[in-house]
Amino acid sequence: MNADSPALRLRALRKSFGRPAVDGLDLTVRRGELYALLGPNGAGKTTTLRMVTGLLAPDAGDVEVLGVDLARDPAGAKRGMAYLPDDPLLYGKLKPTEYLEFVAGLWGIRAEDAEPRARCLLDWLDLAKHAHELTEGFSRGMKQKLALAGALIHEPELLILDEPLTGLDAAAARQVKDLLVSHVDQGGTVILTTHILEVAERLAQRIGIIRQGRLIAEGTLAELRARTDGGTLEDVFLQLTAGQPT
Amino acid sequence: MSAAPGSARWLLAHELRLAWHGGGLNKQGKRRPALRTFIFWAVASALLHLLAFFALRKLGGHMDDAFLAIPVTVMLVVCSTFMLSSALTGCVTALFERGDLDLLLSSPLPTRSIFTVRLLGIVTVTAAPYLFLAGPFANVALVLGHPGWLGLYVMICACAMLMACAGMLLTLALVRVLGARRTRVVAQVLAAVAGALLFLLSQAYNFMHHGGDAGPGLLGQLASQSLFGLDSALWLPGRALLGAPVPLLAAALLAGLAFALTVGRTHRFFAQGVQEAAGAGRAPARPAGAPRLRLRFRRSLFDTVVVKEWRLIARDPHLIAQVLLQLVYLVPLLLPILNGNAVGPALGAGLTLLCSSLAGSLCWIVISAEDAPDLLLSAPAPRRTLQLAKLAAATMPPLLLVALPLLWLTVRTPLTGLLVAFTVCAAVLSAGLIVLWVGRPAPRSDFQMRGKSNFLCTVLELISSLCWGGLGWLLVTLSAQDADWLPFAAAAMLAGALGVLLLAWLLRRRPG
Repeated sequence: MNADSPALRLRALRKSFGRPAVDGLDLTVRRGELYALLGPNGAGKTTTLRMVTGLLAPDAGDVEVLGVDLARDPAGAKRGMAYLPDDPLLYGKLKPTEYLEFVAGLWGIRAEDAEPRARCLLDWLDLAKHAHELTEGFSRGMKQKLALAGALIHEPELLILDEPLTGLDAAAARQVKDLLVSHVDQGGTVILTTHILEVAERLAQRIGIIRQGRLIAEGTLAELRARTDGGTLEDVFLQLTAGQPT
Repeated sequence: MSAAPGSARWLLAHELRLAWHGGGLNKQGKRRPALRTFIFWAVASALLHLLAFFALRKLGGHMDDAFLAIPVTVMLVVCSTFMLSSALTGCVTALFERGDLDLLLSSPLPTRSIFTVRLLGIVTVTAAPYLFLAGPFANVALVLGHPGWLGLYVMICACAMLMACAGMLLTLALVRVLGARRTRVVAQVLAAVAGALLFLLSQAYNFMHHGGDAGPGLLGQLASQSLFGLDSALWLPGRALLGAPVPLLAAALLAGLAFALTVGRTHRFFAQGVQEAAGAGRAPARPAGAPRLRLRFRRSLFDTVVVKEWRLIARDPHLIAQVLLQLVYLVPLLLPILNGNAVGPALGAGLTLLCSSLAGSLCWIVISAEDAPDLLLSAPAPRRTLQLAKLAAATMPPLLLVALPLLWLTVRTPLTGLLVAFTVCAAVLSAGLIVLWVGRPAPRSDFQMRGKSNFLCTVLELISSLCWGGLGWLLVTLSAQDADWLPFAAAAMLAGALGVLLLAWLLRRRPG
């Protein structure tokens, strides 16, 4: 992996499902930043993330993850990345420990590295006391936390999260937010989508706003304010997206 | 006149409407046009009336024969067991799978009304197929001048009511004893096993060597004994069904009483059962001081995937029961083979068919019904390794299952054993590859519907199984006797099996 390259670079990315979902998107996310990708419903955020993580093949354009071209070397690009979808599907008949064992196996993590990391994550996310239960009985928040633990077990450099705070209670949401900040503090990169604009306002170093599959604005909160009449991120967002609902 | 909103009658109408719409869904989950559904059922009913007419005309003057009460009672008992199986499924659905009870129980409707209506819904759904299938016999009998046969309607409803009550009491008792989580599995397995046992019993009659007179002969013997004589109280249900007024009234009263008692005594526990169901699956957190976490990280991706797949299957008893029941329903296919004298070829064909079917089911579960496909796609793991591991996870259990019989066969007759081992391995591998290539992703809960939802895959699997099974039969026969046509037939079967595999490969789904 090229250490000088950005964490993520998208060039003229396109995807159409009858009508364009992502329409020539250019985006660069630097290493070590927390980037929030915002947009109204149907703007193409999830489609973009699914193309970045290799779940969806783009119609055109390039995806470069940590300096590795996703199309040329998918395994290499995926090795340093983790993706947490908005509604993570876990295996209901597995226990949390077994789920982590499986994810570690998928990323080829050595047992001696994976084991302490798994213990630490389970403890930190308050899942250790539920480690002997099947995940089918978990609440939405517990499932989200376990999926997050799975995403972090291989210590990815780039963490991509689609609506990570949906369905979490205040305490769990705080834990996740702390975890994201800590990941960035340790040199990692986080890209997240969220409809909770306060989260983006407080956590993100840069914010990108997409509408109809195109990046319509990007920058720090101050830069975005300068482009509009100012106010909160909500005001900025609503002005830029012309009042479309989030 | 429509019932007032919020009344028990209104709720019952709502329940029946839901059941009607549920019955009118096609395999894609879309509602069929009402007219087409109506025409379908009307034509089916007309055909059943025709069938009933010919059957009853053959019975002729024996329609009011007292002896008839014996087979009718036996049939009623058999149907009651099927009804219990169906009622158990209905109770599990009502308690665990329908998501509307929270809404209903939080409304101002009395719990008693909700429970009454839900139980009546189960009674209706349980009775409906039997009324549809057996009703034409009562109608035709009425036309032929035997109005007593109308008792059939009353008896089917009474039986359905009794079985629905028994099913609900059993389910609620299981909730109390085992807890909601286990009850769901136990009731589903019980329902499936009850159906399968009766299916096997019905086939056992065909399996016996007789000239078609075993049934009447047995009934004749029964009737000649005092305990089972024509006047015995054991045959009261049959007499009631044929229109004897007192037994008929008694049956109706008994069913009504059972229903009233079930509703009166258990409606509160029903609400409690629903609350427990809402928390089903939540085991209490491990208390402090519990043993330390045990983590077993493996070095190989292949091992990790295989172990994960086996865990997922082993922890789903309902799924295991469904897979094994599919094998039970294959038994009639094997009966003509096993009934013959050629045991070697029969074993070859039988083992190949069973293993192929089991492998196909497991491959569908492991490959098509992957719970987290996005996780696998977003991982840097090689796709080929994942596929191989999944194929191994699905094909190893059937091969292990037949390892012992094959070993026995190989020790007894080495050539036969080796030939059967070849066809079993080839059939298992073919089934796996067909699912891998043309199987469509689907949730595990669709297991029973997989034939409909992925028709092409099912047909290819079936043809492949039959070809390999046929080859097993022919090769073993060929090893024991010399006939000119056998090598050609075996070659044709082999070509057929390989052709199916080639077709599946040509039609394989490309990764998206």
